[in-house]
Amino acid sequence: MTVSEAARPGGPTRTRELLQHRELRRLLGWLGGGVLLAVMTGPQGVIGQPTYAISHALRGGHLVTCLVVGVVMWGLSVGWSHGRESVHAGLAEPRAQLRTAWEQPAVRRGFYLVLLALAIFLPRLTGQFWQGVLVEQIGIYALLALGLNIVVGFAGLLDLGYVAFYAIGAYTTAYFTDTLPVHPPFTINPFLVIPFAVLAAMLAGLILGAPTLRLRGDYLAIVTLGFGEIITILAVNLDSITNGSRGAFGIPSFSIRLPSWLGGWHYEWGLSSLPYYYLLLGFTVTILVLFHLLENSRVGRAWVAIREDEVAAQACGIPPVKYKLMAFAIGASTSGFAGVLYASKISFINPSSFTVSASILILVLVIFGGMGSLFGSVVGAAVVQWFFKYVQKNNGAPIPLIHKKLPIDVQDLYMYVGALLILMMIFRPQGIVPSRRRAREISMAEHGIGGADAMAAPVGSPTP
Amino acid sequence: MDRKFIVRAALPIALGAVALTACSGSSGSGSTGNNGGGGKKTYTIGFQGPLSGGNAALGINEKDGAQLAIDQANAKGDLPFKLQLKPADDQGSADGSPPAARSLIGDSNVIAVVGPSFSGASDAAGKLYSQANLLMVTPSATLPDLVNHGFTTFYRAVADDFAQGPPDADYLIKKAGAKKVFLIDDTTDYGKGLASAFKGELSKAGGKLAGSDSAPQTSTCIPGATGSTSQYPSEASKVKSSGADSVFYAGYYCDFALLAKALRNAGFKGQLMSGDGSDDSKYVQGAGAANANGTLLSCQCSDIASNPNGASFISAYKSAFHVDPGAYSAESFDVTNAVISVLKGLGSNPTRQAVVSAFASVNYQGLTKAITFGSDHNLKVQTAFLYKVVNGKITYVGDLSKLV
Amino acid sequence: MCFTHNFWSLTIDGLNNGFLYALIALGYTLVYGVLQLINFAHSEVFMSGGFAGLFLTQWWVGSGTPGGAESIALVVCGTAVGAVTGGTVAFLLERVAYRPLRRRNAPRLAFLITAIGASFFLFSLAGKLFGRDAQGIPTLYGNGKLFSVFGGDVHLYDVIVAGSACAMLLVLDRLVARTKLGQGIRAVAQDAETASLMGVNIDRIISQTFVIGGLLGGAAGFLFGIANNVGYTMGFVPGLKAFTAAVLGGIGNIRGAMLGGIALGLVENWGVTCVRNSWRDVIAFAILVLILMFRPTGLLGERLGRSA
Repeated sequence: MTVSEAARPGGPTRTRELLQHRELRRLLGWLGGGVLLAVMTGPQGVIGQPTYAISHALRGGHLVTCLVVGVVMWGLSVGWSHGRESVHAGLAEPRAQLRTAWEQPAVRRGFYLVLLALAIFLPRLTGQFWQGVLVEQIGIYALLALGLNIVVGFAGLLDLGYVAFYAIGAYTTAYFTDTLPVHPPFTINPFLVIPFAVLAAMLAGLILGAPTLRLRGDYLAIVTLGFGEIITILAVNLDSITNGSRGAFGIPSFSIRLPSWLGGWHYEWGLSSLPYYYLLLGFTVTILVLFHLLENSRVGRAWVAIREDEVAAQACGIPPVKYKLMAFAIGASTSGFAGVLYASKISFINPSSFTVSASILILVLVIFGGMGSLFGSVVGAAVVQWFFKYVQKNNGAPIPLIHKKLPIDVQDLYMYVGALLILMMIFRPQGIVPSRRRAREISMAEHGIGGADAMAAPVGSPTP
Repeated sequence: MDRKFIVRAALPIALGAVALTACSGSSGSGSTGNNGGGGKKTYTIGFQGPLSGGNAALGINEKDGAQLAIDQANAKGDLPFKLQLKPADDQGSADGSPPAARSLIGDSNVIAVVGPSFSGASDAAGKLYSQANLLMVTPSATLPDLVNHGFTTFYRAVADDFAQGPPDADYLIKKAGAKKVFLIDDTTDYGKGLASAFKGELSKAGGKLAGSDSAPQTSTCIPGATGSTSQYPSEASKVKSSGADSVFYAGYYCDFALLAKALRNAGFKGQLMSGDGSDDSKYVQGAGAANANGTLLSCQCSDIASNPNGASFISAYKSAFHVDPGAYSAESFDVTNAVISVLKGLGSNPTRQAVVSAFASVNYQGLTKAITFGSDHNLKVQTAFLYKVVNGKITYVGDLSKLV
Repeated sequence: MCFTHNFWSLTIDGLNNGFLYALIALGYTLVYGVLQLINFAHSEVFMSGGFAGLFLTQWWVGSGTPGGAESIALVVCGTAVGAVTGGTVAFLLERVAYRPLRRRNAPRLAFLITAIGASFFLFSLAGKLFGRDAQGIPTLYGNGKLFSVFGGDVHLYDVIVAGSACAMLLVLDRLVARTKLGQGIRAVAQDAETASLMGVNIDRIISQTFVIGGLLGGAAGFLFGIANNVGYTMGFVPGLKAFTAAVLGGIGNIRGAMLGGIALGLVENWGVTCVRNSWRDVIAFAILVLILMFRPTGLLGERLGRSA
């Protein structure tokens, strides 16, 4: 930073010198951020009066509040840049202790058990709203994020049409439960649809992947995006098969009926969310464990190799297309599996649930949690979706966590998501629960050694 | 090394979030039957509709209409309890609907719900409301199929697409003098439903279908929609080469404005017509008055401005929300009043079950229409009205059933 | 039969779309050339140009009906204001969002995510500031029929779009081929590290590339808005299509983007003569996949450095 500043042709004027002072520039930056915050949390604009929102946001107490926030942030950042070393030094001791504790398998196991216990018992204390959110928004999206993580995080392939496989899973469920205009040869419970849906999604993944995975990263992004788009358009337009935008209604919930020689035991999941939550928890934990094993297997190591340097990997005898295809298929089948759960839980599907925005939302969850980190995907889904629903549920009312003067309008959610993504990429690109390997790749790339994804060389070149 | 520390720092935060979730969840249902200021109990009427996302305008219109009805009922003071409104945002989508419904169902104070506004959202929430025995009365979901899905607590206080599409065709052919109609839908459930209702009547009315097309909603109009805005000029080419003398559009106002603009730009001079989705002054704004003039619009909503009893509603609405009532504001006001009229007869301790069974025989004369239901949970008398754009203003023509 | 029925009028519509796609596609391709980054936020640069032009013309026209010289001035000024706004937004975008990442040599996925985040942020902010309903640009001129080509009518709007797009494309093509700036852009596109050793100021070149792309995108935003209204999410589909067009022509290749844009516009419009308009995207993406299968780097191949 300082090098390039020095290199800039500096004018002799005093203001210019002042502006080059580091702290002052930083203060100006934070003040600019404060003004932006004032606009972001200001009133909603009015059609026909383009200056209304800005002029009403930048006045009086509101602006002062936001500027104060800016100055406080500046103070904190100055303090942090001066005190960072001592904080790190002070924390070194407890951190080292924690690390040695963490390295003991018993501690780790205990930690995960406590977490699992919390995941089992905490939802019982909440109302049905949050139980529903835990299944439909958090649980299912955690599964989707896990699957996408294989594709994006492990294999380093950018898939922007991931939701297509989710749609295939959901529509397969609708088909086999006879809720579409076309009738299946036999009608089965959604439980038994799972293998069919997983297979269908996997096939779709292979069909899409086989010709396109030879393409470079950027091309893959646009082709997958197009594929997602095509699947949605098919669902909307093929009225006689998918019932168009009216969708499929009346998909039954999961049920189990053991044959009579086994006692004829019968259980139906029904409309309430808690039974679904436990089912989903079971599936998620299973998939977490499976993917974790996969990560440390031969396949996982091949993915890492391809991601870090495809040419070198190929030279070492790893066929990249085969392993990429495998990642694609595994991701797709997880997505298809989530589609079955979704269709059977909501019992009604229509194409509007499977748009590009949903694909991007899942990507956001993966990024936020930490690419390549399985546990991160779950945490990402939980935190982001919880935040969405929390803001939505308290529509109009100020959010107690934040000062009453800076309310979040539900309509502006995507603005905050966007800002969050930009800030994360600048300050914490590895996500909130980063994978150790990814974090190291990113820091290595920052020092100019190797790439951190399967998208060829890093952008631009090292600045002088 | 850094990272490990942060993993541990992040976990308490995540757990905190879960705990917060737990707290806020339980506090939501914990405030059962709290006493209002005047010693009366307070009950809640829920509202479910889009308050964010691409269709938020309609949901906010309806929410405000319901709010006004409740404020007026409280001000009158002849209820044995106080009422309040609890809005729940479903973004107008099937995805957002179950959480919104559960937030209302989970609040045991909620004894009736106005909404959902949209058909897809109604389909996704119907079972939940039925299971919870909670009344749901939609002021605007018009998909005919909805009443056949076995939702026991669902009532539709609006005429369905069949009340609008067929008379539209009749009027267009018999009164407006059209002969060959080009039919365009916007691929939404609403658009396709209206288009097929229209198409069914067209040949019976003696008209010919010059051609038909589906033009998906565009991203200019609906966030996240994937229709190309540039499709409308090619749509205009198709219309012109088909030899049609009129166009019927089954969709919403914003895209209809783009279509009208493209058609007029291409030199098409025939009659334009659309349904209630396009009955909004923003249609005229978007298309430009010169392009929109002469357009026929039908709606199950009556024109509150030309309604002799509407003046006091309009002024009250304006003073409460600082805007004119929009599409379906008055309908939602009526539906809420119909619910309140039922609550009046149930004493000071209404239950959800009692509300549902009493609502079946509701008989309420609202500003816009009489609200009484047949055994199919549809309105007994289904009416639609006709409007025309004259000099850049949407003006009332008359009751469609009486015009043809 | 359906194909020959209104072939020429659809061709004219297609060319009209194609020129706009080409203008936007250039923004993607230029940035890709120097940074190898898909700048997803470019659709919001486009949108900002639309809004700027909208506000200017609303303020200027008021409730009057312009004609003659005033119409010309309106179209020219609207396009210019759209372009300048687009350029400014693109410049800020590079400065605020991408430069910190470049400094850190962040992985490419990080750039992509930032681009998506910037896109979210900008369109929601526009929706918040200027309202969430699409608005029409006031009538600037009488859009009369000028002449016919084999029965397809050519209107004034078609000529305005084609004329201004051709002019901008030509200027850009010369700019990249002949000027010092163009040389710099090509040098950075070919090998940024070597270019910097040769004394090229990479930061400045990248900034200027963003601005050029922004100028074209912003101008396209206004031209698009004249016929198709302006709304805060208007950039989504045109951006997607223009990106498709850029890939189709060979991303990073300036002439490829022009060719790809026009080709995509034409193919899309020809395609929907026989099927419903709702299949348009299927046609566009099917063409894209087919072409990529046989020519994995697009119609004209990739490199910006070799394009001129």
